[in-house]
Amino acid sequence: MPPGVRPFSAAVSVGGAALIWLALLGPVITLLTHLSWHAVGSALSYPGALDPLVTSVEAGGVTLAVLVCVCTPLAWMLARGRLPFQRVWEAGVLCSLLLPPLVIGLLLVFMVGPYTAIGGLLGHLNLSATNTFLALVIAEVYESAPYYVVGAQAAFSAVDPRLEQQAELLGDRPRRVFRRVTLPLASPGLAMALAVAWARAMGAFGAVIIVAYHPYGLPLQIYTTLEQTGLPTALPYALVLLVVALPLPLAAYVWSARAQGRRRG
Amino acid sequence: MSGAPVLKADVEVDRRDFTVRAAIAVAPGERLALFGPSGAGKTTLLEVIAGLVLPRSGTVELAGRILTQTSKPRVAVPPWQRRVGLLRQDPGLFPHLSVRANLTYARTASHRSGIGTGPAAGAAGAELTEVADALGIGSLLAAMPARLSGGQQHRAALARLLLAHCDALLLDEPYSGLDAALRRTLTALVVRLVTQRNVPAILVAHELADAQAFATRLAVIDHGQLLQTGPPDRVVLRPASVRVAELTGYLGFAAVPGKPGMVAGIHPDRVLGGAEPDRGLVLTGPVATSRPAGAGWEADILLPGAQPPGSVVTVRLADRPGADGSEVTVTAIDAPLFSADGLALADTSAPRRAAGVHKLAFEGIGEGNGR
Repeated sequence: MPPGVRPFSAAVSVGGAALIWLALLGPVITLLTHLSWHAVGSALSYPGALDPLVTSVEAGGVTLAVLVCVCTPLAWMLARGRLPFQRVWEAGVLCSLLLPPLVIGLLLVFMVGPYTAIGGLLGHLNLSATNTFLALVIAEVYESAPYYVVGAQAAFSAVDPRLEQQAELLGDRPRRVFRRVTLPLASPGLAMALAVAWARAMGAFGAVIIVAYHPYGLPLQIYTTLEQTGLPTALPYALVLLVVALPLPLAAYVWSARAQGRRRG
Repeated sequence: MSGAPVLKADVEVDRRDFTVRAAIAVAPGERLALFGPSGAGKTTLLEVIAGLVLPRSGTVELAGRILTQTSKPRVAVPPWQRRVGLLRQDPGLFPHLSVRANLTYARTASHRSGIGTGPAAGAAGAELTEVADALGIGSLLAAMPARLSGGQQHRAALARLLLAHCDALLLDEPYSGLDAALRRTLTALVVRLVTQRNVPAILVAHELADAQAFATRLAVIDHGQLLQTGPPDRVVLRPASVRVAELTGYLGFAAVPGKPGMVAGIHPDRVLGGAEPDRGLVLTGPVATSRPAGAGWEADILLPGAQPPGSVVTVRLADRPGADGSEVTVTAIDAPLFSADGLALADTSAPRRAAGVHKLAFEGIGEGNGR
């Protein structure tokens, strides 16, 4: 290879990567350049302007709690092949991943709406899964759960089962092995799965607009503002959404990178 | 005595292609090597003893405790209550824990393996230092496993097992990925520690040299069947069948002149150049090919009586043999003899008589060749 070709091709690949990276960041850059800080201040100083933010964070938090409690065991069993007809289970998770959120919303109306068996049951408990906080959480869970399950399954699969065997042979019963070996080893991957699920929950729109138009979360606030008063007034809420949704994934990323670094010593 | 850590296993385990059947007993301080080709069922046997695989039928017993029993009353002690240590080719250190936390893992486990045999909490720290120093990893306790070399990781894994005070040690080709010198050092270390701790130990090996370096007793296993058990030198010099001979390195078989149906196993290392009729079976034939091997030469000889007919007998010689096609005469020292059905003619359970039988046989051969 003639001298000079290598630096040239390296420069080309770095340049290409930078271009792609900038293109991906394009919307964020546009958001920042089109915002006037004055507009942000006035939009957010309305009384009750921050209510959608509170609603979104609360619903997102509850959604994550539900995912961790319900979907983590499922992901672990999928990763360890503990279920009969493994492929059927996996295909089921993929199905819910492939359904467009809007369709999920429509189907949720038929599933948990007021005139269904589940809806009736909820009614007996004085609950409703239509236009309530509960409905918002249900919609967010359905939109984010498959992402969490797939990510968590990959995280658990990456843990060598022989390490778990070794821990058992050293005298730990399975539950303790899970706590002392499986969970710490899977946690960077689990954190990333959780971060993705959080981002999905924060941005959940398609299912939410059908089953939980009220109470407003941030995405719906953006949509209704856009409809009522136009593009520029919606942008501040987009910034809020970004600012609120980003810290958790970032923290998860930094934390999992540090955990990997610690392992390398 | 119920407390003596004797390890007994008499089991049948179904595998996809065949059933593993074996009955073994290992005394305290005894080192048994399970030797056989890859896929013979050796690892399966270890996993049954460790409780990771359940046998179709049979029992496993350790130190008077029944660990597995398929007849009623059924017993299946879970791995965490077995006090059996398993070392595999991958040292299996927990990557998220420091070397120190790895070594003390068992002490903080829900079923402390060291109950009764382990030191009190106060002495535990002293024991940790002692074992780590003895294995040469005393200065690495604060490091993460990823920082350790392969040999150091294996030392740490061994230390972890010792500190767990297991009643039996199972070694599944632990050092087969390492270079020869390191393998020797680590094997010698394990041998010393097994003797010190006086626990039964089983090594699985598919290299005869590894098995010999470790074992006081050798068990040859092939296709799930235990073919022969005995002192390593005896199994190698007096294989019970043609199959055992093949597995232990006999690279050729030749009909014995004047003894129809009788076949001698020729081990390449147990051959002398030239005719020495009073030392063994004298064989003559043309050299098919030869090549340098170590400090000597390896030659394939076409023997008229080779079994199966037309096959070559491989021997190693100190001197370079003649050109291909030239006649060469060698003496196979004290070659084991087999009948047509592939079984050894010597009775392996009665060594003295067996030796007598062989002497007679060889006298006959010697005369035959002398004429």
